[in-house]
Amino acid sequence: MNILSATLAEPHSFSPWEKLLLVASMVASAALFCRRLGPILKRILKSRKDPNFSLAPVGKRVWDFFWEVLCQAKVIRERPLPGLAHAFVFWGFCAFALVTVNHIAVGLGVGFLDPHGLVGGFYFYFAAAFAIACAVGIFGLFVRRFVVRPRWLGGKVSYESGVIALLIFLLMVTYLAAFAVSDASPSARILWWTHTLSLLIFLPIIPHTKHLHLVLSPATIFLSRGGFSKIPPLVGDEDFGLVAGTDLTQLVSLQAYSCVECGRCSEHCPATNTGKELNPKEIILGLRSYLNEFGPTSQESLIGKFNSMTADFQCTTCGSCEYQCPVGIEHLPILIGLRRGAVNTGKWEDDHGAKLFLALERGSNALGMGALERDKFIQKQQFPIFDGTQEYCLWLGCMGGYDPKGREIIADFARVMNYLGTSYGVLRKEKCTGDPVRRLGNDLLFQQLAESNLEALAQNKVKKIVSICPHCVRTIQEDWKEFGTPPEIEHHSEFLASFADKLPNQTDGRVPQVPVSGPGNQKIVFHDPCYLGRYRNVYDEPRAVVSLAGELVEAPRSHQRSFCCGAGGGLAFLGEETGDRVSHTRAKELVATGASIIGTACPFCNTMFRDALSATGKAGPQLLDIAQLTARGLPSANAAIGVTTPGGSSRE
Amino acid sequence: MKIIVAIKQVPERDAQVRINSAGKWIEEADLQFAMNESDAYALEEALQLKEKHGGEVIVLTAGPERVGTTIREALAKGADRAIHIEADDLTQRDALGVAQLLASAAKQESPDLVLTGLQSDDLGYGQTGVIMAELMGVPHASLILHVDKTDTGLTVKRELEEGWFQNIELPLPAVLMIQSGGTKLRYATLMGIKKAKTKEFRKVSASELGAAGASTAVLEKITLPQKQKSTQIIPGSAKEAAATLVEKLKFEVRVL
Amino acid sequence: MSGVYVVLEDRGGRISRISWESVVAATMLAAQSGAKATAIVIGAQTEALATEAATKGVAKVVCIEHPLLAQYTSDGFTTALEQFIRAESPDYLVFPHSYQVRDFVPALAARLGRVLIGDVTAIGEGPIFTRQLMQGRLSGSYKSAGVGPSFISVQSGAFRADGAETGAAEITTFAPTIDAAQIRTKPGEPFRGTAQTVDLGSAPLIVAVGRGIKEADNLPLVQDLAAALGAELAASRPICDNGWLPIERQVGSSGQTVAPKLYLAVGISGAIQHLVGMKGSQCIVAINKDAEAPIFEVADYGIVGDLFEVVPALTDAIKSARQ
Repeated sequence: MNILSATLAEPHSFSPWEKLLLVASMVASAALFCRRLGPILKRILKSRKDPNFSLAPVGKRVWDFFWEVLCQAKVIRERPLPGLAHAFVFWGFCAFALVTVNHIAVGLGVGFLDPHGLVGGFYFYFAAAFAIACAVGIFGLFVRRFVVRPRWLGGKVSYESGVIALLIFLLMVTYLAAFAVSDASPSARILWWTHTLSLLIFLPIIPHTKHLHLVLSPATIFLSRGGFSKIPPLVGDEDFGLVAGTDLTQLVSLQAYSCVECGRCSEHCPATNTGKELNPKEIILGLRSYLNEFGPTSQESLIGKFNSMTADFQCTTCGSCEYQCPVGIEHLPILIGLRRGAVNTGKWEDDHGAKLFLALERGSNALGMGALERDKFIQKQQFPIFDGTQEYCLWLGCMGGYDPKGREIIADFARVMNYLGTSYGVLRKEKCTGDPVRRLGNDLLFQQLAESNLEALAQNKVKKIVSICPHCVRTIQEDWKEFGTPPEIEHHSEFLASFADKLPNQTDGRVPQVPVSGPGNQKIVFHDPCYLGRYRNVYDEPRAVVSLAGELVEAPRSHQRSFCCGAGGGLAFLGEETGDRVSHTRAKELVATGASIIGTACPFCNTMFRDALSATGKAGPQLLDIAQLTARGLPSANAAIGVTTPGGSSRE
Repeated sequence: MKIIVAIKQVPERDAQVRINSAGKWIEEADLQFAMNESDAYALEEALQLKEKHGGEVIVLTAGPERVGTTIREALAKGADRAIHIEADDLTQRDALGVAQLLASAAKQESPDLVLTGLQSDDLGYGQTGVIMAELMGVPHASLILHVDKTDTGLTVKRELEEGWFQNIELPLPAVLMIQSGGTKLRYATLMGIKKAKTKEFRKVSASELGAAGASTAVLEKITLPQKQKSTQIIPGSAKEAAATLVEKLKFEVRVL
Repeated sequence: MSGVYVVLEDRGGRISRISWESVVAATMLAAQSGAKATAIVIGAQTEALATEAATKGVAKVVCIEHPLLAQYTSDGFTTALEQFIRAESPDYLVFPHSYQVRDFVPALAARLGRVLIGDVTAIGEGPIFTRQLMQGRLSGSYKSAGVGPSFISVQSGAFRADGAETGAAEITTFAPTIDAAQIRTKPGEPFRGTAQTVDLGSAPLIVAVGRGIKEADNLPLVQDLAAALGAELAASRPICDNGWLPIERQVGSSGQTVAPKLYLAVGISGAIQHLVGMKGSQCIVAINKDAEAPIFEVADYGIVGDLFEVVPALTDAIKSARQ
């Protein structure tokens, strides 16, 4: 057989019985499909409406749809080989759309694509190429799931996945084989019927398995909340978060049913990776099970049969799960919603949690320290007090105001700002931004803190804030929006990067007091903070700053895949962890890069790693914030060298 | 059990205090206020008793309008209703004068039990509960860490000096002054605050409860103490420093 | 009659130290009108107490005796003193500011239409009584007004009672009338917290050890110090993580929160996670060889030095002071 001249075989006359059989099985398959899909769609639509949801900006939604669904970008990028295999399967399905329609039409005697014609011939070859790719892809995925058995796909053998893989393979193989036979041969008919039956068996299996994502995920991706970790506002006097089925919204239900069980979320979860009970995949599947058993109008508590409160409170809100999910599930609003349901109703009883809440009920900071301690620090450092005339308000935050290491970072950053001639001031009084209580789900306390802070900032005429803490930055810029209009805020990495040309370059010997063989040549591994990286998409700025101080090296997991330090989600204030310590796990990874310095850009990361490093006992790498790395390159007060300092004005 | 909890609103612990122009009290203008700490423990004790034995918990607070926030906080944490004695001149009254107001209001309710905190974070007299008991003609006990209801009344655990404790039995009705730290406090929840909106909040003016007598313990003036808290680094060799430290522990800290 | 009376309190059959301090205060007060103070002892059998009191520079000792006063009750002591006051009409009654006094004197004063001026730290001309407000951030000057006896209680340690005045005062008795039905509370025997469990939260004195101790073998050094002080032993997290001390002794954000009268931090740097667990302590003493250690920011007293020298020296000094 000459491959180039092979054409797709299309059996000709189907007998009336065959046509009847075809129609009957199509009807049966479709009916089964609808009967199974119907209740699911009903549950999703019966869920309550999402507050604050709007389709605008549609442009972004269309782009995300194109990029993530059609181009399979995230699927491929985060797990390249399996992702590509899946992409081939998906593209194969897309390419096969017309093939399938024509295939059924042929059975009914009204085939419209002629394999011998120009259009039909070209299209069938086109589809054949995809069929090969799809068959190879699905075969590879089958081997991965059943032979290689990566742990993130789960321990149990999934028979349904095997069946689906087989059906897809069969569909592709029967299509390709049809090129090798002639229209009139009995093999063509056999292939045709095999292909048809595979299709009609496949269809009703979809709603009952994770392959529901075929139907739902394009919608899930298109209908996302429009922001990373977008926490919806509470509506009315009866809304306390995700308490029972009646609180599940349409988006949440849609997302719960879209889960493909790929395990990418679990694979990158710091809790799951350190032996905790929390597994993001299980959270989503738990909601799905809840909806299947109790439905969206049930008063049954969400935390219970399908969800564990212990697990819910092990989340650091690092966002790896939400970032990784290829079908657009937004884990963070769900997790925080579950926490809200437990905390806003008082169901969560935790000594450390209560201590944190009481400290903020009665005082100004999350550490429970007296405000006089912060005053003493400000006086000792002789910081200028913000009086409405300066350009920047330097926000200390709880760590910068009270933690010894946080204070060192602030002091060094202030030194850099003085060197740059920036006009800034420090507020006399600060209240915690409320980040830990926001992530733990205490809306009463968060609202009080946000409103109080917004009022104070307005009174003090604060227009621009610079902060060393990504948690403060996120909370002020995003979470406070619910209660007012926060001032502009930038993270100190963004601030420093914008002045990169004015900062001393410690690596090229131009700054005389730093010899070329000295610190400027040290390897610095930069750890991306969750709330700066995944939450704010800031990756280059801190690296620009680090590169001025030494040789930048990357950790194995960096940028969007950076592994959490363990402090987020309010966990820095809660009690002992079970399993391995998240901070120790990450610290080991950073130390193993062989760098002599670990560079951080968040006071929480700094504190967590300081503990982790000191626990190992032996001398390890230095731990320095980017502000400290910058400050050590500044000319000291009594340097006699004529290093010109830049002018006193801030940037143009 | 009908329990009244007398709660005071005091300046926040963190507050930077300044003396007002008259020199007799602090400038209240830009202060933040909060619930007195030992009163929070009294409230917690009352709520736990209600959860165990049923009944109702009533918040009783005297003061100007701003004490409303503290009353609402108590309602949010679980108290059933509140009585606000409107009085703008509390600083003019001595401990007896204040206790008279509270006792008059409390007597009208005929409670089984009155709980107060041990002492206030601002004036720190630590007398209000004891005086209330005297005025109401009921027995009392102070420095209480734990309360148990019995068939004949109450058994309470009292703190004594130097790490000793004592159990006391007393009949109801009674007044107890609750020490901080005896139990775990609960945090205020959103649900609690929403429920609090519908709870009864009765106001009664101080004049309705009787005019204040002349003060017998008069606060003439207040000043900032000479010593501000700062770290004293003790110099000298190990032996010398140790000896100096022991002196301080004996006479300044008074623990030896 | 008038004059200054000081009511003494006994502990286990002996007059308490703070009562002697009250005598000093009462003597100062009485001196303002050129008189001397009269001591009062209360109980069922007060002979020994009275004899002791008579040697302490007072003009007279009054024994208020009644069988129902064998054990302290608010009702008993209030009734007894009330009757005495109505009989003798004193100008001033000075008390030590003890838990016992706080329990009954406000009621006693109220019964007589008066108010206790409590926890006094100084007595000035007038007399003006000084006491602390707002947890020591302010000082208040009080004056007693109106008709009737003035009730004062003095803060522990505010008046030094080492001056050993001697004398031999006259001892008289006063017998109040008390009915058993008047005593409404039934106090039990005092007891200590269970010795088995570690209760850092209620320990008045704590000695805490940190990584400066270097090895578990060096712990006895700090244990001796704790024993000499009569303090509980606590530790920062690394010590408990290493298993050198049980987790119940850990102070810090993932351990206990404590607020004792004295917190002696040995070889602890003062990381925030530890500070949040002990910053409420009334007095913090730090021993660390690093002068920049953050613990010194929150300490009231600090010794910058080698703990392996300072701690033994301190233990010895405390032992001598206690003799």
